[in-house]
Order: sequence, then structure tokens, then C-alpha cells
Amino acid sequence: MTQMLAILILLLFLTAGIAAAAMLDRAIPALVAGRPMKSSLSAPFAVAAAMAIAPKSDTEHPDRVGWVLAPILYFTLAAVGLSVVPLSPRLVAAPSEVGIVLWGACEALTVVAVFLHGWSANAPLPLMGAYRYVAIGLPAMLLSMFVLIGAALPAQSLGLVEIVESQRDVWNVVRQPAGLVLFLMLGLSVSLRGPFDYADPYDLAGGTQAEVSGAARLSWRLARLAMLVSVSAMTATVFLGGYLGPVLPGFVWLALKSALVLVALVAAGNWFARMPPARMMSFLWLALLPLSFLMLAAVGVELLLWG
Amino acid sequence: MIVLVAATVAALVRSARSPFAAPITEPQKVPFLGGGAPTTHAWQRYHVRYYPMTLLFIAFEMEMMFMYPWAVVFVEEGGKAMMEMGMFLAILSVGILYGWREGVFRWQ
Amino acid sequence: MAVRLLEKSAPSAPVSVFAAVGAGSRGRVERLFYDPRLTRVLSVRQANVLLVAGSLRDEDHDDLRRLHDQMPPPRATVWWGSDPIFGFDDLTTIAVEDDPVAAIVAAHRALIMVERASEPDLLPNEPANPWRGEGPHGQGGKGMMGGTPYGRPMAMTNDDLRDGLALDAYTAPFGPFLPMLPPGLKLSLTLQGDVVQKAEVLRPPLAQHDDGPTRALRLRRVARLLRILGLDAHADRLQDASRASECGEEVDFAKLRRLVRWSGALAAIPPGLGVVDGRDVRSRMRRWLDELGVQRPDPADPASSEQPARLVDLLEGLEWTEAILVINSFDDKALLAMAPVEKEDGNAEKGEGEHHHHDHSSRDHHSAGHAMNHGGGGSA
Repeated sequence: MTQMLAILILLLFLTAGIAAAAMLDRAIPALVAGRPMKSSLSAPFAVAAAMAIAPKSDTEHPDRVGWVLAPILYFTLAAVGLSVVPLSPRLVAAPSEVGIVLWGACEALTVVAVFLHGWSANAPLPLMGAYRYVAIGLPAMLLSMFVLIGAALPAQSLGLVEIVESQRDVWNVVRQPAGLVLFLMLGLSVSLRGPFDYADPYDLAGGTQAEVSGAARLSWRLARLAMLVSVSAMTATVFLGGYLGPVLPGFVWLALKSALVLVALVAAGNWFARMPPARMMSFLWLALLPLSFLMLAAVGVELLLWG
Repeated sequence: MIVLVAATVAALVRSARSPFAAPITEPQKVPFLGGGAPTTHAWQRYHVRYYPMTLLFIAFEMEMMFMYPWAVVFVEEGGKAMMEMGMFLAILSVGILYGWREGVFRWQ
Repeated sequence: MAVRLLEKSAPSAPVSVFAAVGAGSRGRVERLFYDPRLTRVLSVRQANVLLVAGSLRDEDHDDLRRLHDQMPPPRATVWWGSDPIFGFDDLTTIAVEDDPVAAIVAAHRALIMVERASEPDLLPNEPANPWRGEGPHGQGGKGMMGGTPYGRPMAMTNDDLRDGLALDAYTAPFGPFLPMLPPGLKLSLTLQGDVVQKAEVLRPPLAQHDDGPTRALRLRRVARLLRILGLDAHADRLQDASRASECGEEVDFAKLRRLVRWSGALAAIPPGLGVVDGRDVRSRMRRWLDELGVQRPDPADPASSEQPARLVDLLEGLEWTEAILVINSFDDKALLAMAPVEKEDGNAEKGEGEHHHHDHSSRDHHSAGHAMNHGGGGSA
């Protein structure tokens, strides 16, 4: 019963989150560009409607099955990733003692979904987007796993409820502030945005999206936004104490914190420059990965001394 | 259940039919190159530039598997666990340094 | 019901426009997308309206027809200061000095309301290559790769520039209407993975005659580099500033410079990229940034000296994004001087039948010869 309730709330959460993300996606760039923001509320729906009624395109001998499956897989991964997020100690859509392992699997399969989307078109620009995303998606995922392990240490569990409960005294963002930054980078990477958008970038004329139109493109865009919402909720849970908070019910706190992370992610996606992929790959391995090791060690030492 | 609902929603959106849908002709299918037409298939024996990196990645992926149970028992085991994982990570870090010297992270 | 709702709200969305830019129109087109009723799409697949701005060369006509046919129906073409080419009817033409936005929006609306018929294909409805080969998947046949199973032949192997691995070398013409390349520039690029093995200029960029204030010009150049670095919003801001400065309005250049600096745009560009006369892409961009507010002509570029660097030499061995950055790091005049045409175009164009197969087998031969010469200096 509570599980059904959790699933319903979660679907609502996902829908509202996607709508909010779509609006932010117009409002924040407009803010940076110094253009009027007033159309940000209504424009996303009109744009989605326009995409929905445009016909789908086709290429010469594409991998049709893969092309259809890619956005479906991507969207499903976002929903599954979100389902392990607890709304309160007992209100979880998919109660799991190994929540972060499940989330990690969703991250890993995202690379597959994005690759499939670019591969299937049998066209050069999407293909390049597909291959280069793998180069960045894999090490970025590694980062996030070290960060998540750092969050699991004080909880002595891989379950997300326990991870939230372990933050009653102090949020994980205080224990590992750099961890939050690294996890936000992963968020940009799995939702293909800004400095980590190596699959759908401008210099490849939209990359994996270059050959899709109509409902096919709409479903891809929705899946990207869904993943963004999902990763925001996960960040809020692991670093910002999830449903913990005074007075208001748990899921309201979770929604508020997720919204905050969502704004931060969209802003970061619009604010920072993207390196060419070769430079980014070295940067990830040689700078960020050692940083995540250090972060993990710091949390370990802290627990041994004061834990 | 969540998988089912999410997949159905996504599949419905993906398969929505446009009121303007019409049979797609051959010239409409030519891959987009900004005007030019390709002479060959795009699918090819693609030169993946980060191949050595993926091998190193597998090493770290395996390492993650040991880390999950380790994280659960860390507080109970205390210093011993810390030392063990410290050594493990140190060896892997040396691996990264070695890989860097060998140019694993170059787009080669 | 749902469909009705969609059809009702769709017309209020900005019209997706793909711009095919001809001579002397680049700045004009970039200014056009200030209007919130339009959005510029990167691929013609996502466009509702094809905007042809400025005059095209005769050689570009075939490319334009191909581009037009790639646009999914319902589709319309609007000609802005451009002479419609043979094959198009139901013409919407706008004079250079007029604003085409209203016409574009009207054309789109008419398409959605089915008051205007979608433009038909211009090219014949034939597969690019006749199916040849034997067996259910066309796998059988003569030659190394069997037949040509799926319409086009497969790419052939060649040695890689960076590590000498013999994998497939993919050669294709890119441009002349790719959004991230200067208008008119058509390159034949041979790629292995995403590294350029060989570049040839099939057609040079079209002259843009951008003789507005250099302040505004520099803003637009920096904006183009910013887009490649994933900074669309920043690019829009610079674009708008360029427009404002052309209209004689006050522009806070120091603020713009700070905005770009804080984005990490300069740090994101790898050092030592596309060096011409001791300056790489990063230092060229920095110079444009430093001189944003300065109203004086560009310094004489080394590229316009008697021995200009060749663009194709700069591109060889670069990864795709790096190559795109290099191409966009020169001003129009310098780029024109650096990109002389060396190869007759046309060969790469006729993607049809007999000719193709021929081409294919001759290349097959070539690469076999190459393998024997292994160690003799690589593929360049």
C-alpha cells in the first residue's frame, strides 16, 4: 500500500520535475544571455507540442530497433534510478538495501543508451557523438561511485534510507564538499549537458540528435530531462539529507532540495565551457579521480577519529 | 512495475504519430552533412581513440565490486579496513601514474 | 483530443529554421535569430522552414536541393535576398532590406493549418546505390566486401596518422551549409574515428563583406567560438551586444569580457592548437577578447602575407572539435587566403550506381598497395 503511494508520488515528482527542468532550461540561458525570460513558462509546452506533431525522419538503413529503444531505455533508467530515492523512512517506491548499487547500474547503462542513440542512425555526426560520449561517460561514472562509497561509509550500509539517516547529525555535504561537486559533474554527464555534453554538442550539429526529429526527438529530450530530475533527487538524498527537515513532511523537503540542485545543475550547464574530449578525458583521470580518492580517504579518517 | 510504467510512457511518446506523417522517400534519408552526400556507410571499423583507457577502466570497475562490501563493514573493522583499502587505492593510483606515463589518457 | 490540443499549442512555439547562408549574409542571419519567434536549429531534420539567405554559387545548388529534401515535411523555403534556384516553386521571396520574420512565421502557420502544401522532393526517389550482391542480406558478390549490401559501399582501411593502426578511413564531404563551419566552406575530410587524417578544400568559404564596425565583428567571432565550447547563452549575449553596438547603443565591453573569462572558455581550449605565426587558437581568441571594445581594423594577419599557412595542413591530425575550433579562429579574410581550392569537386558528389562501384574498387586497390608500402611514411 505504502509502496503504491510512493510510486504515485514519484510519478508526480518526475512529471513536475521534467516540467520545471524544461522551464529552467529556457529561463537560465535567457538570464545569462540577458534576454527576456517571460516566455519561459509557456514556451516549453508549445515547443514540445510542435515536436510531437512534426513527423519523424529516417536515414538510409538505420538500426531501427536500437533507435526506438534508446530513448525508452534512457527514460526507464531515469525512472528506476529515481525509484530508490526514499520519500520518508518508510515511503520508498523500490525499497532496496543496495540502493546505490542499483543507481550505479543505471549510470552505467546510460552510457549504453546514449551510445545506442548515436550508433543507430548510421550517419557520421551522431556516430562520433556516440563514441566520444563513452570516453567521458565511463570515467565520470567512476567518479560518482567513489563519491557514493564515501557517503556509504558513515551509514555502514548501501541502502539510501540508511544513508539519509546517517545524516541526522551532519549532512554529507559537510563531510565531503568536493564529493558534491564531483557528483554534480556526473549529473551533467548523465543528462548530457553543458561542459559534459559530448553526445549532443553544437560542433557535431546536435550529435546523436542530428538525425532525429518529431516524436523521436521529443522522447529523447524528455528522457534527458528525466535523468536530470533523477540525478537531482539522488544528489539531494545523498548529500543534502534527503527527506530530513523540520516541520514540513519529508517529501516536501526532498522536493525543495531537489529543486535547488536542479537549478544548480542547469546553471552550471550554462555557465562553464566544454573542453575538447581529449582534454576532458585526461582531466577526469588525472585531476578529478585522484581528488575523489582523497575525498574517500578523508571521510575514512574522519570516521576513525570521531566516528 | 516502475520499469513497466516508465517504459510504456516513453514508448508511447516515442511512437506518437504525426498528423503529417507520410512515406519517407530516398532523398529524405540521406545522412545530414550540411549539403554533401556521403559515399560510404557511416558504420565502419571505427578508430576508438580511448581504447587503452577502457582497459584501465575495467580495473577500476572491478575494484568497485570490492568496495561495496568494504563500505558496509568499514566502521566495524576500523583501522584495518582503512589500511587495506588505502593500500589498494595506492596501488591503483600508481597504475594511473604509470598509465599517464604510457600515454593511456591521450586521444591516440 | 490530445492531438487537437497539440495542434492548438504547436503554432505558438517558435518556428524552427535552418539557415542556408550564402555570400554576404552571415551577420544578417545571426542578427535575425534575436527574434523570439524563431529558433535556429543545427540540423535540417529539425527544421520547419529552410531559410536561404544571400546568393549561392552554381556549385552549391545541388547541395541546397539535397538539404531541402532532408527536411521532413511539411516544409517550406523562404528566400531572403537570394535568387530562387531551379526546381523550387511556390516561392516566398523577401528583399535583402526587408525583415523576413513575418514571412517565415506565416509560411509555417500556413503549413500547420494545411493552407499551404508541403514542398515536394526535388531529387528523384531512387536509392543512392542500386542494391547489388547476392543472398538475403546482399552479403555475397565479388570483391573484398562482397556486394554493396545496403545502398552504399563500406569505408576502406588505411593506416592511421597517430598510431598507424589500419582501420577504416571514412571520407565524406562536409558543408557547405553546416552550422559550425563558415558558410560556403565545403571540406572533404578523411576521418579515422574522430581524427582528421586528410583535409581538402572542395569549395572556399563565401565572402561575407562584413564591413560593419570591427567592434561588432569581433563580438560575433568570439560568439562563434563560444558556441563550439558549449556556451550558447554567452554567445547569444555577445550576439545581442554586437547588434546593439551596430545600432550605436552603449555596450559594456568590460562586463562581457568578464563573463567570458569566468566561463573558463580560454582555459578549455588546449594550448598549442592551430599555431599560425606563433599564435594558437587560444591566443587568437584572447586577442579578440582584449580588443572587444577597441574600434580599429584587424591587425595585418600573418595568413594574408605572401606565404599563407594552409588550412588543410592545420587540420590534419586534429580531433574533430579541435579542428572546428581552428577553422573558426580566423577572421573571414584570413580564412579565405588560407583555403584555396585544390581539388575539383564533383567526384564526391555523384553518389550514384556504376560510378560508385568503380570508385570503390579502385580505392580498394589503392589501400592494398598502401599496406605493402607500410612503414614508408604513413598515410599523409
